[in-house]
Amino acid sequence: MMLSRVINISLKGLSKYKMRTFLMMLGIIIGIATLTVIVSVSKGMQKKVMKSIQSFGSNAVMVSAGGGKMFGPPDEKVTSLTLDDADAIREQVKGIRAMSPFTMALEQTVIYGSKNTMSPVVGVTPEFADAWQWYAEKGDFISDEDNSSMSKNCMLGQTVVSELFGDQDPVGETIRVNNTNFKIIGVLSKRGTSPRGMDMDRRVMVPLTTAMKRLYNVTYIGMIRLYIDDSSRLDEVSKTVASILKERHHITPPQEDDFRVTNTMAMANMAKGVSKTLGTFLALLSLISLAVGGIVIANIMFISVNERKKEIGIRRAFGATAVDIRKQFLGEALFVTIGGGIVGTALGIIVSEGLATIKKMPVVISWEPFALAIVFSTLVGIIAGLQPAKRAAAMDPVDAIRG
Amino acid sequence: MIELRNITKTYRKNGGLEVNVLQGVTLEIKKGEFVAIMAPSGMGKSTLMNIIGCLDRPTSGEYFLDGAEVDKMNDDEQSRTRNKKIGFVFQSFNLLPKTTSLENVELPLIYSPEDVDVKAKAKAALEAVGLGDRVHHAPSELSGGQQQRVAIARALVNDPAIILADEPTGNLDSASSDEVMNIFKKLNDDGRTIVLVTHEHDVAEKAKRIIRMKDGQVVSDERRAE
Ligand SMILES: Nc1ncnc2c1ncn2[C@@H]1O[C@H](COP(=O)(O)OP(=O)(O)OP(=O)(O)O)[C@@H](O)[C@H]1O
Ligand SMILES: [Mg+2]
Repeated sequence: MMLSRVINISLKGLSKYKMRTFLMMLGIIIGIATLTVIVSVSKGMQKKVMKSIQSFGSNAVMVSAGGGKMFGPPDEKVTSLTLDDADAIREQVKGIRAMSPFTMALEQTVIYGSKNTMSPVVGVTPEFADAWQWYAEKGDFISDEDNSSMSKNCMLGQTVVSELFGDQDPVGETIRVNNTNFKIIGVLSKRGTSPRGMDMDRRVMVPLTTAMKRLYNVTYIGMIRLYIDDSSRLDEVSKTVASILKERHHITPPQEDDFRVTNTMAMANMAKGVSKTLGTFLALLSLISLAVGGIVIANIMFISVNERKKEIGIRRAFGATAVDIRKQFLGEALFVTIGGGIVGTALGIIVSEGLATIKKMPVVISWEPFALAIVFSTLVGIIAGLQPAKRAAAMDPVDAIRG
Repeated sequence: MIELRNITKTYRKNGGLEVNVLQGVTLEIKKGEFVAIMAPSGMGKSTLMNIIGCLDRPTSGEYFLDGAEVDKMNDDEQSRTRNKKIGFVFQSFNLLPKTTSLENVELPLIYSPEDVDVKAKAKAALEAVGLGDRVHHAPSELSGGQQQRVAIARALVNDPAIILADEPTGNLDSASSDEVMNIFKKLNDDGRTIVLVTHEHDVAEKAKRIIRMKDGQVVSDERRAE
């Protein structure tokens, strides 16, 4: 029988039993909509993570004072990470393109005229720029001279600039941090959000020596960032750095490390691991709802085949072959599931967009959920429709026509 | 054209009891005949019609349709034969519910391998039975007589050589019966073979040949003058 005729018969059959058709579609719609939302949201999260990992830097290894957590600002109570550690690392690790030890004081009050804001204050050397691949957009970067003279020059991140200066040019102006006046010599380029969700543009950068001696009077630093020339050596370098620090800090198991070494690869793997676990769980959930939907369809189809026994007999009497009957009912099941798949995808996209606007969730709408929907709904349609269709086809015409 | 030799049909009831509905029916129907088969109720008329219509298989005996042995055909071949050569008309019309006259009449064309203008042909068949103005009506919106005429249009639409009518007037009043019988008479005048089952004498009178059955066998075969 011609395909167009099969399609026609199946669609007409469905249109005569609208409520039943809708009920059969419902499970598929819900399953596919869930699947679409899952894919859209997890792709959105992935994109967000990837973006923040990019802001971390792809060839970077980070050493922070304090053990435990994976990444984030250093533990200000830990005093064991020093400039000598940094020198030792520079001496012993090969392939370092740039290295930047720095201090970080969180939540400092920054005052300009009558305005003030809260910001971390970071003490840096000029190498910070290369180690972070992060440069001055306006004015100058902190220089070696600034460090040797413990100058009271500083640079601002763009969030601090917009909060204190608005559209005004801050270079040359003076701000006040920790009872010390600083002259603004430059503005950093925009960096975005850190992997921990911190606004990296909210910062004041001062010379490292100024921060250690003049502002906070400490002998320790918070972090060391390495920029290496080969990303395939990230793990090797991280391990070497860790063993150097273990030795220098006299840490023996089962003692815990008083530092942590992080790199992009490790972060990416962790992010992937988390989203994979969550994604697997949710995907399982939507597969279960698809399976339930399939079972519902199969059952309703069986009922439908029995109720429409006479119709089957009549069709057989006027020349339908057993295969024609099978095609008709299989076609009905497929139209239900594929139709449900299309409606489900549309619903899923609407829900995803809703989550993006109302819940501010990161969402990426792509073609994959649609392809998945077509594949899954076709599969469910064939599996759920085959047995009822076979039963319909196997009916004896004389019995069937008697109803 | 239709040749039955010693056809029997035995049903086995649930309890294992055998019912011999047809007990050796032998008869021949030639092209262009108009035959009425008469038998009391429950005597196997419908069973015989289903066998002639290739819808059912006999328990034993041979049936040749246009020289081909029907029992040797597989299910697909029988379906194709029904589609091409047979047009069924039933006592209870057997139209598809919630389906327009036009779509009901389209049925045999849809299962035909030939690529024809289905709508146009179905419409023409409805016009031929005087229902050109009831094309988009569902069976529930038609009278019994009209429904039976839709059923006749459906039986005719694929231009089969044989019309098999199983008590086609059984559910109709006398005016509608006459209408239906006149259609059959005209179809026969055009050369179509018509086999109808009835237990009403005045219906059988319209045929050119009356076969009477009893106890699953042919008891009389009478050709009538025009
Ligand atoms: N599938 C079946 N199983 C068992 N017995 C059957 C079956 N089909 C028909 N019969 C029996 O065969 C006999 C003949 O049935 P059939 O329908 O051919 O009779 P009929 O002459 O057409 O009757 P009516 O005038 O009522 O239409 C009946 O006694 C019926 O009970
Ligand atoms: Mg009968």
